[in-house]
Order: sequence, then structure tokens, then C-alpha cells
Amino acid sequence: MAAAGPGESVEAYAERSTRTEVNALRGEVEGLTFAESQGVGVRLIRDGRLGYAWAADPSANEVRAAVAQARENAGFASADEHNVLPEAAAADPIDELYHAEQAAMSTDRKVALALDLERRTTSTDPRVRKVEVVQYGDAVSSAAIASTSGVAAAYERTDCWCMVVALAEEGEETQTGYSYRLGRALDELDWEGVADEAIERATRMLGAVKPSTMKVPVLLDPFAGSSFLGVLSGALSAEAVQKGRSLFAELVGQQVGSEAFTLVDDGRLLEGPAASPFDDEGVPTGRTELFTRGTLNGFLHDTYTAHRGGTASTGNARRAGYRTAPGVGISNFYVEPGAKDLSELLVEASGGVLIQDVSGVHSGANPISGEFSVGATGLRIDGGTLGEPLREMTIASTIPDMLQAVAAVGSDLRFFTAVGVPSILIGEMTVAGV
Amino acid sequence: MTGDGAPTASIGRMLDRALAHEILRAARSHGGAFAELFVEERTSVTIRLDDGKIEELTSGLDRGAGVRVGQGTSFGYAFSNRLDREALLEAAEAAAASLRGAPGEVVDLREVQPSVVHVAERPASGMPAADKVAWLREVDDVARSFSPEVRQVVATYGDSVQRVLIATSDGRWIEELRPRIRLVAQVVAARDGVIQTGFHGPAGVAGVEFLDAHPPAETASIAARRAVTMLGSSPAPAGEMSAVLAPGMGGVLFHEAVGHPLESDIVDKEASVYRGRVGEVLASPLVNGIDDATIPNAWGSFSFDDEGAPAERTVLFEDGVLRGWLYDRLRAEKDGVASTGNGRRQSYAHQPIPRMTNTFILNGTSTSEDVLSSTERGVYVAALAGGQTNPATGDFVFGCSEAYLIEDGEITSPVRGANLIGRAIEVMSAIDGVADDFDTWEGVCGKDGQSVPVGSGSPTLRISRITVGGTGA
Repeated sequence: MAAAGPGESVEAYAERSTRTEVNALRGEVEGLTFAESQGVGVRLIRDGRLGYAWAADPSANEVRAAVAQARENAGFASADEHNVLPEAAAADPIDELYHAEQAAMSTDRKVALALDLERRTTSTDPRVRKVEVVQYGDAVSSAAIASTSGVAAAYERTDCWCMVVALAEEGEETQTGYSYRLGRALDELDWEGVADEAIERATRMLGAVKPSTMKVPVLLDPFAGSSFLGVLSGALSAEAVQKGRSLFAELVGQQVGSEAFTLVDDGRLLEGPAASPFDDEGVPTGRTELFTRGTLNGFLHDTYTAHRGGTASTGNARRAGYRTAPGVGISNFYVEPGAKDLSELLVEASGGVLIQDVSGVHSGANPISGEFSVGATGLRIDGGTLGEPLREMTIASTIPDMLQAVAAVGSDLRFFTAVGVPSILIGEMTVAGV
Repeated sequence: MTGDGAPTASIGRMLDRALAHEILRAARSHGGAFAELFVEERTSVTIRLDDGKIEELTSGLDRGAGVRVGQGTSFGYAFSNRLDREALLEAAEAAAASLRGAPGEVVDLREVQPSVVHVAERPASGMPAADKVAWLREVDDVARSFSPEVRQVVATYGDSVQRVLIATSDGRWIEELRPRIRLVAQVVAARDGVIQTGFHGPAGVAGVEFLDAHPPAETASIAARRAVTMLGSSPAPAGEMSAVLAPGMGGVLFHEAVGHPLESDIVDKEASVYRGRVGEVLASPLVNGIDDATIPNAWGSFSFDDEGAPAERTVLFEDGVLRGWLYDRLRAEKDGVASTGNGRRQSYAHQPIPRMTNTFILNGTSTSEDVLSSTERGVYVAALAGGQTNPATGDFVFGCSEAYLIEDGEITSPVRGANLIGRAIEVMSAIDGVADDFDTWEGVCGKDGQSVPVGSGSPTLRISRITVGGTGA
């Protein structure tokens, strides 16, 4: 901060992480990767002009050079009165984010786990003898922020994850099944469940056929639902609203979705992998209910959008790393679970389709207009149980129409990185086949 | 910017050969088939204009090294963004940690000369930031003046210089400098509550001379025209029909649906629909497909891949016959063949894996008029938004960001929300028209969490029958 000139606001964001990834294939270690990285990003505001620069080497010389570079960069930016740094505010620490025994776990144990994961995946069902990917990974990371407006905050975290892409084969046919779980320590990570789920998701698709077009109840499983939440998150950022890029811009206070639909962003929710005491510009995180029983309440804000919109930051400044300046992003962004378990939802969805995976959401959904048309695979639902597997389907609708049509939400909330979603029953949707 | 922060010394001087040799020896201390050191320094500038304002000018310097030890198709990899002897030796030991063999040899390092070099005639790193800002202002002005229906413009300019040093235990010492430049326009247009977006983003391994061939005003007009045209669109029809793909777009489809399953790691894991089928007719005889990193200044080009293998032109399909895979070092050694120069990585923080470079379907002998006029009913795909493929099954889905109906051989009204859905081998076999108007499309390809710049290309081509997913009748 000593490098700041008069009239300048300066913020430094530093991060450091060590990561290990072990991939297993054919009973052996396919790859063992150790990563160590660190870096500093400097945000400098002068006369409302914002400049950003970063350095991978946190030595005093390079950080000073980054400040000078940010200052030069600011000179070319447009002045914007809303470019301000947040004032200091104390965030309650979240001690549960860091597990010392996880940080100290030996490489041998990680390797053994990846091998066990692959062995279980390829030795449980005779149709699954190969995998595309088996990975165990973990990371120990820390972030620190300091600014001329008095922010001084730091925290540490541990994360670990398992990922399996299983291949199921029968005759000439191959199907893939994906599963993924993450936690803060190995004992939170149900790795056996990851193997079993990948096997189930691959094998149940064997024999998939292309159905004829039908208008039926659609049950989105959490994997499929998480893809749609990504589209929703963009449209609920105040940045998108202020720049005329959100379909929800004019809909605050209105009943946009059905009564069954409540959507929350909560940066302090411990069950969510994205929990952190403060956001990426040092503002304490909290709970924001974006939709309450279908009614849109508001949007996610960082300090810039809050200043521009005359409101308070919701603690949703996020960055992709030290190389980028913060912008509005989600923390733990999830659909509030309902009371019904999956078996009850399957009964309600009888005669319909369970969608197991959707593809092409990033290209087939327009986050500005809310229209989407995506490819899907899944299974018929007959009499409350899963039946014939289906491929090469498309589902097309608009985000508001889909939210209106939410008939029920399951109790099976599951997080995929920052996005959490339970099974969601859509009353009726057109599923296009031949 | 004005050269501040740009490295002045050659990367070779950042790490001397004696130290590189020492690191490689440490990496081979427990054996393995080979060791490799990858050192990188990258300076980059990104400028973003949004909502009429230059929001942000970001610049930075990245530096780091990765050490890899290979054994069969297994590897150990460790990297650090410290380049001191101690950090590099630590990385070498970590990379060798899973091996238990006797020390292996390290051959004296000798410089390998490139056979193709992609030079920036006017390096972007030497241009004042004010000029770069002016290009973005021009994009904003041109796009907004295209139509009063243009509501929002996001323009992004980026340039970078990646300096790479690769040293291998079999004695190769390789240095390369890769200058990259890209200008992207995203335009939002609105009419009567309908909102549509348009995108265009040419890119090259080049200096600012690239913008002479791809002027900012042209990029802005193309993106604005796409957004405004699509305002008048009706929902795309659904069902099976013919699809004619505009120049460049067939290459995007070929990259996703065919190229990925031809990457040798996917083949090695038996997760490719093409496994064991080299020599078979798996596409229409009109299809000649290649992957070529030697094309001068193309977005996916380089002199050496990220394992130090020279850039190559690899034939994938010849008259519809599958000819081979895209190899990196690990998979090539396993199959007893030479690498095809397709071992790429996003940065020093990633291990190399088989990737595409510039992936093309080559010109045929028809004209685009022939292809169109003989199409009774179908969709004309002017721009694809991206897609997804399952390499094991060949199933793919592509979204169309600009598409039109074809009626009686003519391109007629625009349609939105169209998806192309199919299986790689069936769809490639259904190509029944290949024109002679080749063009390219530049993108960033993601795989295993790594993003690398790739080029795609093709002439106008027709798929006689494909499933179109749409919301209309």
C-alpha cells in the first residue's frame, strides 16, 4: 500500500496454492501432478479510472512494478464514478474451511486412493472394465486482500475432489457415465459413491434409443439442472442488469417462477464448496434470497454495481484468479431443496422422462433472451421407476417458462463446485426426438 | 504497452544450459523413459470496452517452469512459478517421486532449429496502449452506427507474447517466441422485446499487421449484422433435414465431432468411436481432413509443440478414409511411432496432452452456388455458437448462432435456436457437397481443464440429412 500515490485507491489481492492431482488408469498411476503457484493482482483507481496489473512473483520489486503498470493502465481507462474500493468491514472467520490433517495428507495415500477408485470403478459391473478419467485431487490455498481503504483480510482453505468418467460397453455400443464429488477433507468425500454413481450412469444408458417427440413431465436430475443454473447465474448479476443484458432486468417483485422455486446465494453456507468469509474484494459474504417462492427479489452485487445501483454489495465480487480484476459472480448458488425424495418425484413424473445430461447449454442457451435449445440424454419414467434409456433428444424452451413450470423440487440438494441443485420436476415440456 | 514490463532478455538467458542439464539429471534420478523441462514467460495485455467505456486495461507477466518425467503412458509432473535452482530441483524431485529405478542419462543439450517460424512483423508489445484503445472505440462506433437497434457493444482486445524454452533428456534445446493477437466484438441488438447477440473474433499468431487483414471496423460490422439480422428470426424448425454449413463452420464441426475422438489419449483409453478403424471409409469420399500447425501465422500454429516436437501437417482423412491419430510423445512412444507434434499445454502449470492445432476440411470442386441451389429444404448455418461431443459414442450437439432457412435452393428467412444433433461417423458420411470457398474460424478449445488456441476451417459443405433441434414447427 506504500506504493499508492496521493488521490489513488489501491488494492492488492494475493493468492497461493499447492495442488496435487493423481490420475489412475489400468491399475496404474497415469499421472501425478504437483502444482505450486502464487501471484498478486493490483487494482488501482485514480479519478474514477481503473487499472489492473498482476505479477506471478510476489517479490517487492515485481509488486512495485505491477502498481506502476496498473497506474499506467488506469490512464487509458474511462472515468466512472462508481469505480470505488469497499470500506473495511470485519468478516467472521469460518474455521471449518481449513483441515490441517487434509493439508498434511501424504502423497502415498492420495495415490492409493486414486488406484482404489479406479479398481472399484472397473471391477463392480462386468460391463464397466474401462475408464476415461479417474482422478483424485486436492488443494491447499490461501488468499489475502489489503487496500488503502483499510481492508486487511486473509483466510486459508483445503479442498479435495474425486472424479470418474466410466465407460460401459455392450456389443458395439459404448456409453459414458460421469460422477464428481468434492469436500474439504477426505472423510467428507464419499469416493466409493463416486465410482458407483459413474457406473450406474454409464450402464443405465446402454441400449439408448432415439424417442419420438413427446410433451411430458420432465425430471431434471442434479447434473442436468446444474447446467441451467449456470445460465441463471449470469442473468441474476447486477452487472448484466445494469448493462442491459439480463432477461430479469424489469421483473423485480414479480412472480417469475412457480411457488416451488426458491433460489439462494449464500457465501457462508458450510455445505457449499464455495464458502468463504469474505468475497474477492474483502466484503463479508452473506445470504441473498434471489427468488422466494417464485418471486424475484433482486440481484447479486459487488461494490461497483452496488454503488451504481445505490444499494449495498451482497458480497459477490469474484475473480478467476489473481490475473483478473473482480466482477460480480456467485458464491454457493443453489435451489432451496423441497420435501420430496427422488422416489416420490419419480412417481409424480410417471409417463415422463428423467433428463440425466444436457449438452450444449453454453452454446444453445441465450443468457440474454433466456431462450434455449439443448441436447439431452435420459430415461423414460414408468410407474415410478426408470425405464428405457433415450438419446439424441432436444429440449427447448425459455428460462422464464421453465421456472413457471417447476412443479416440485426434491430434497436431494447436491453441490457441483459453486452451483447446488436438487432434482427438479418440470410439469410438462416438449422433448423432441424423431 | 510501451514496452514496460516486457522481458528484454531472451528466455535462454533466464536459465542457462548447465542448470537445465542439472534439473533434467535430478528428474531422471529414479529412471523413467525421459525427462523434460518446460520454461515459460508470458506477457499479456487485455483491454475491455463495455457499455461505451474502456472498463479495464489489464496487463501482467507470468513466469514458471514445469518438469515432467515420463514412463510408458504414465508421467510425474511438477511445476512452480519460481525459477531459482532450489525450486526447480524440488520440482524435479517431485516429478520423479513415483519412480523407483536407477538414474537415467541426460544427453548434452543442443539447439534445434525450427523449420517454420511465425513472425510478428509489427509486434503488438511495441504499440502504445492508446492505439489499442482506439481500435476498441472504432469497434464500438461502427457497431453502434450499424443500426439504432444495436443496444450494447462489448469489445475485447488482447495480445500476448509467450516465450518458451524446452529442454529434454534426449538432448533437445528449443526456444520459441509466440506472439498472439485477437480482437473480439460482441453486439447485443433489441427490437420489440426480442434480444439477440452477434459475435466475431478473428485471431492470429502475428503482430498488429493482422489487423490490416481483419480491420476492427469489419469485425464490428460482422458482429452487428449477425445480431440485427437475428432480430427478424423465427424459431427454427425441428426434424431431419439438409444442412448447408457456411465456410469455416464445417471446420468447427469437424474439430469437435471428429478431431477430439482422433486425439491419441482418447484412442489409447479406448474411449474413441474411431479406435481400431484406421484405413476404413468413415466419411464421405468428398472429405479430406488435416491438422496443420505449420500454416503461417494461423491461430493454432507454432514452430514446436509444447514437448519440443516440430510442427507438422497431419492427414486425418483422405477421400473419406481414416488415416491416423493426433499424437503426443507418451502415446507415440507407446505405439512406436513419431509424435505428430500435437502435444500442447495451456501453460507451464499444465502437463502436455494431445490437442488439435489448425483442423481443416479441405476444398472440394463444387461451388457454393451448386451446393445451395441443389438444396430443396434445409437450414443454412452461417455461424455456430459452439458444441459438445461425446468421443466414445460420437454423439454431438451444436448450437447455431446465425442460421437461415433454405427453400428451393435459396437462403431465405433467419431462424433462431437451431441445434445440429447427430453422430460423428453418420454425419461425416452424409456430406454430399464440398465447395471451393475455404475460410477459417478461430476459437479457444477446452479439454481436461486446459484451454489452447485452435483454428478450424472448411469450405461451404452440405450434410444431406441431420437432426435439427428447434422450437418451431
